[in-house]
Amino acid sequence: MIDDFRFQPPVLEVDGLTKHFGSVVACEEVDLALRAGEIHGVLGENGAGKSTLMRMIFGLVDPDRGVIRIDGEATRIADPSEAVRQGIGMVHQHYSLVDALTVWENVAIGEVGPLDPEKTRARIRRISWRYGLSVDPDATVRDLSAGIRQRVEIIKCLGRRPRVIILDEPTSALTPAESQYLFDVLLTGVRTQGWAVALVSHKLDEILRATDRITVMRQGRVVDRLLTAEARVPALAQAMVGRPVPLRTVTATFERDQVARDLLDADPMDDGPGQTAEPAASTTPILQVDNASVKGADGRVLLDGLSLAVGAGEIVGVAGVEGNGQTALADLLAGLLRLDDGTVLVKGRTVPTGVAGAMVGAGIAVVPADRHRAGCVLDMSVAENLMIPSTHNMRRWGLLRQDAIRRNALQLIEEYDIRTSGPDALLGELSGGNQQRTVIARALSASPEVMVAHQPTRGLDVGAIEYVGDRIRRSADRGIGVLLLSTDLREILSLADRVVVLHRGSIVGEMSRDELDLPRLGLLIGGTDEEEKAS
Amino acid sequence: MSTDPPAVPGDAPVPDLRDGGLYGLLLYGVSVGFALVVSAGLVAVTGNAWDSVAGALADGAFLAPGRWGETLAVATPILLVALGMVVGVRAGFFNIGQEGQLLMGALAMALIGTRLAGPGPVLLVGGLALGAVAGGVYAGVAALMRFRRGVPEVISTLLLVFVAFQIVGFAITTDWFLRDLDPNRPSQAVTSAALPGSVRLPVVTLWGNEVTVGFFLALLGAGLVAFVLSRTVFGFKLRLLGSNPRVAQQAGVSFGRAGATALFISGAAAGLAGASMLAAGASSARLTTGFSNEIGWQGLLVALLARNRPLLCIPVAILFAALRTGSGFLAATGVDRTVVDVVQALLVLALLVPPAVEFMRDRRQVSIAARATEPA
Amino acid sequence: MSDILSALGDIFTSPAMYGSAVRLGVFLAFAALGELVAEKAGTINISVEGSLLAGALGGAVAFDMSGSTVFGLAAGAVAGVSVAMVAANMSHRLTADQFVVGITVNVLVLGLAGFLDATVSPLGGRAAVVGVPFLSDIPVIGPALFSQTWPTYLLYGLIPLTWWLLYRTRWGLELRSAGENPQAADVSGVDVNRRRRQAVSYGGSLAGLGGAFLILGQVGSFDVGAVGGRGFIAIAAVYFGGWTLRGTLAGALLFGMADAFRLAVPVLGYQVNAQLLAALPYVLTLVVMYFITKRFVQPAALAKPFVRGLR
Repeated sequence: MIDDFRFQPPVLEVDGLTKHFGSVVACEEVDLALRAGEIHGVLGENGAGKSTLMRMIFGLVDPDRGVIRIDGEATRIADPSEAVRQGIGMVHQHYSLVDALTVWENVAIGEVGPLDPEKTRARIRRISWRYGLSVDPDATVRDLSAGIRQRVEIIKCLGRRPRVIILDEPTSALTPAESQYLFDVLLTGVRTQGWAVALVSHKLDEILRATDRITVMRQGRVVDRLLTAEARVPALAQAMVGRPVPLRTVTATFERDQVARDLLDADPMDDGPGQTAEPAASTTPILQVDNASVKGADGRVLLDGLSLAVGAGEIVGVAGVEGNGQTALADLLAGLLRLDDGTVLVKGRTVPTGVAGAMVGAGIAVVPADRHRAGCVLDMSVAENLMIPSTHNMRRWGLLRQDAIRRNALQLIEEYDIRTSGPDALLGELSGGNQQRTVIARALSASPEVMVAHQPTRGLDVGAIEYVGDRIRRSADRGIGVLLLSTDLREILSLADRVVVLHRGSIVGEMSRDELDLPRLGLLIGGTDEEEKAS
Repeated sequence: MSTDPPAVPGDAPVPDLRDGGLYGLLLYGVSVGFALVVSAGLVAVTGNAWDSVAGALADGAFLAPGRWGETLAVATPILLVALGMVVGVRAGFFNIGQEGQLLMGALAMALIGTRLAGPGPVLLVGGLALGAVAGGVYAGVAALMRFRRGVPEVISTLLLVFVAFQIVGFAITTDWFLRDLDPNRPSQAVTSAALPGSVRLPVVTLWGNEVTVGFFLALLGAGLVAFVLSRTVFGFKLRLLGSNPRVAQQAGVSFGRAGATALFISGAAAGLAGASMLAAGASSARLTTGFSNEIGWQGLLVALLARNRPLLCIPVAILFAALRTGSGFLAATGVDRTVVDVVQALLVLALLVPPAVEFMRDRRQVSIAARATEPA
Repeated sequence: MSDILSALGDIFTSPAMYGSAVRLGVFLAFAALGELVAEKAGTINISVEGSLLAGALGGAVAFDMSGSTVFGLAAGAVAGVSVAMVAANMSHRLTADQFVVGITVNVLVLGLAGFLDATVSPLGGRAAVVGVPFLSDIPVIGPALFSQTWPTYLLYGLIPLTWWLLYRTRWGLELRSAGENPQAADVSGVDVNRRRRQAVSYGGSLAGLGGAFLILGQVGSFDVGAVGGRGFIAIAAVYFGGWTLRGTLAGALLFGMADAFRLAVPVLGYQVNAQLLAALPYVLTLVVMYFITKRFVQPAALAKPFVRGLR
């Protein structure tokens, strides 16, 4: 049993770690000490430099300056395998499992020594048993749910016997119950094995719930260090954002978490977003999806009889854990996916699915989750990006009207406050927030009937998040039907008039703002509305 | 069914030449220099003097009387092929079967020119047009495979090259097809009949050199491609498709239809190149199995080297043509003419290195900076 | 119609047909086996054509100099791997586009082969036919599979070796992960581009061996056109096989059979246009690819370059 972590010497110490990317300061003189037997929360907004810091510690990014010490000894970590040799393990936010391989193969990747399937399986079973992380070593990762994948990630990390474990936003794809389970596992390991854990998160509630100490980062710098027991929510939020945070903004944009939710619930009349959004009055839906079903090329079900409707001026939030069909739904409404069965109707008229331009033509604008994948063209200019949906007033006899394109761009740059050196700058040169503004400007400039926003604030900084929320609200006020897909319940609760829950490709529940039942919502999202009660 | 477009071959970043600066120039210098030294070494190993080889090349390409006209004549089909390649790559498709499409174009020209009777100019224009269509349709086979079944066009177009060789072989050995049955034909080799003198591209005489008008048409083509890509809605759509097929699909540019169009155009350009070669009197205006003579490959490399910029294709095509015509004068030096193939490939390899090096340097900075503001 | 059927019957019951199908199939299988490894790691290695030709030339030259088939085969493998390493370093160290590199390398090898062929004129030669006792007595497939020139049997050893490397070693696991999800492999501590270079090089060595086999085990003389696009058929065989070892070999054998069919027809006295027959393997490959391409089973990162920090 490890006693109080405060008296342990640091296992891993980071001293003055600095990383600049061109003119962007990712980390500036960051100090951090992880001690055996503690869970150390690293709190900060997106873009605060948390991930870069961890990636430097794990050898994925080369620091410009600064020292990493392990057991007091300075060391250089050139790549992840070196980090593993030094006893550092990392549980990654996304892509660190290979879908096509089995669990045991995934666990074995990057280890050393001859490949021994039997031993690897046995080790997986041993770790599974010890930490209650049950998983079949011979299952193919592709077939596993997000929660189970997370278990595999952890098993993979633990299999290398790390002393330091870094978890980068580990709960982004987990249900609340799964998150709690993860924290329990961590706590067991920390208390019994003496791990030093760094939990990186932008979610206040999980940092408060799961950690012993907190380091707050903002704009690449450490701005506060404190014991979790002594932490207070408003001060923490202020440290994270860098200015006093009005409660409404806290709840709407940063802390979509338990603490903030409690605060919100305590005073719904003052701060509830329902105040600004008009309740949906329209009777005929402007967008209607009926019984949409589609399978992927590999035969997996993407959408399974999904039906939903959005009225004019209404914001419908689609809640759910990542990987339950959000991308398929967004792709469907972007015209990228052809349905096997079912229909999409805009204002009562059927729109063909999977036909180029049909959805845009029918008045649906999509702001996709991964804007680089389906939202914008990085190697075209800002002006060209802004003219994509509707060239009709920027062409004449098949030629592009350069003057009209430029005028359109300048107007949208002004209106949407896109920071760029000019309309001719390549979009790839803009910051993420400004790229997103461009995508939104483009989507809305086509005067759509329906706007589909999929994780519209992911990866954006504070200002941009506020801006996007505001734009969504204003669009609804103008009578546009908004479908907001997000895995972030707070984002949905702060904006939506009505919430539907997406699970395994279909809508499993629905509630309006007035009849919001948070516990039930949580269960629906986990897909365990009935099952959990039964077990 | 998901319509998710698969990885676009030729997807790797094509870095920009312009921003190289001094460092970039140095890189190019070193790498081209290295290629030339290796080439000279190759010549030296075979016991010859590299300077006499270089001199012979210069004579053959430009200096000897009438040679630069010849060089421009060779540059014409190379440039045409390259322009087609540019259109394809800009739209995101990697048609590398120009050698075959070129043969199909020449086959069409030979059919029109030797099997139909009519006024020369009509046959000429008809042959060129049909040649382009034949090349386009041949590339269309690859398009069909790509958009119906997801077969990568990189592989299908390559395989179609070898089929094209056999089709031409079949045509010129078959009496009812294209075989020259004239008992008085000049050589015993099996070929098609020669294109009649009236069905030839005219030449103009400039400063003692005969230059085919095809060259000027190809120059116009380069301007046209540059204009269409940068200034027209159609060109914009193609570029959009090449840069981000999903955004294009949303905006109404169909992956299949626009992609097939791009592949058709790139094949048509190669077909036109083949037809114009025949009409310009290449290989004595007779279709043979070796007729394409690697012009298709050359055009492809030209487009790659010119970084898919239509106007930049012009000088590169002339350079490549110069190496070919220059190699005709190598016999006197005792060095086999195939040495220029090696030199060419080495040059291409050498020119691939600097942008890749710079890409690594720049991209590391820029992209990670972009990512730094986002969760990894 | 019945004439055609009986002719086909004649051809497909001719033992010579199967013998030559195996010979041509073996040649393709060398290259396809190597290509499979390269593709499993995420590279569509167009330069396999160049490796084949380099192997053929290297094999012929070395045999010419030494008179030893073993030496010839070894030289072929070395030549093949040299070509592959140029391509591998260009596309997986410098991140130049793999197709551009592949094409250029092929042109380079073709040029070099032409140049060297004209300069040193290697003759090549042919290895002895060795029958495997007992096995070669099995009807039909016995002589086809086990009464061949001895380098053929190298392939029979390379098949299980390649399988073992791919599926039973850590190297193979890392290589496959590099082809499926390079980002994941990278954060797990795999040097993705190194594995990819090694995979392409392994493929090049097998292709080089295949090229040398073509000259020393089969044709008996070198010619610049000897390979003539078979490398691309080897790539097609990998597609045909759905990126499995068994399927790839089946593909190689099938396309080898098409080649053998082309040779068998005139020998048995049937009059079919030689060019149309020569086009058959390519046409068959195209037709087969049209009907059985299953895109979703391909390595997920096939043909996608990897740079750390980029998605």
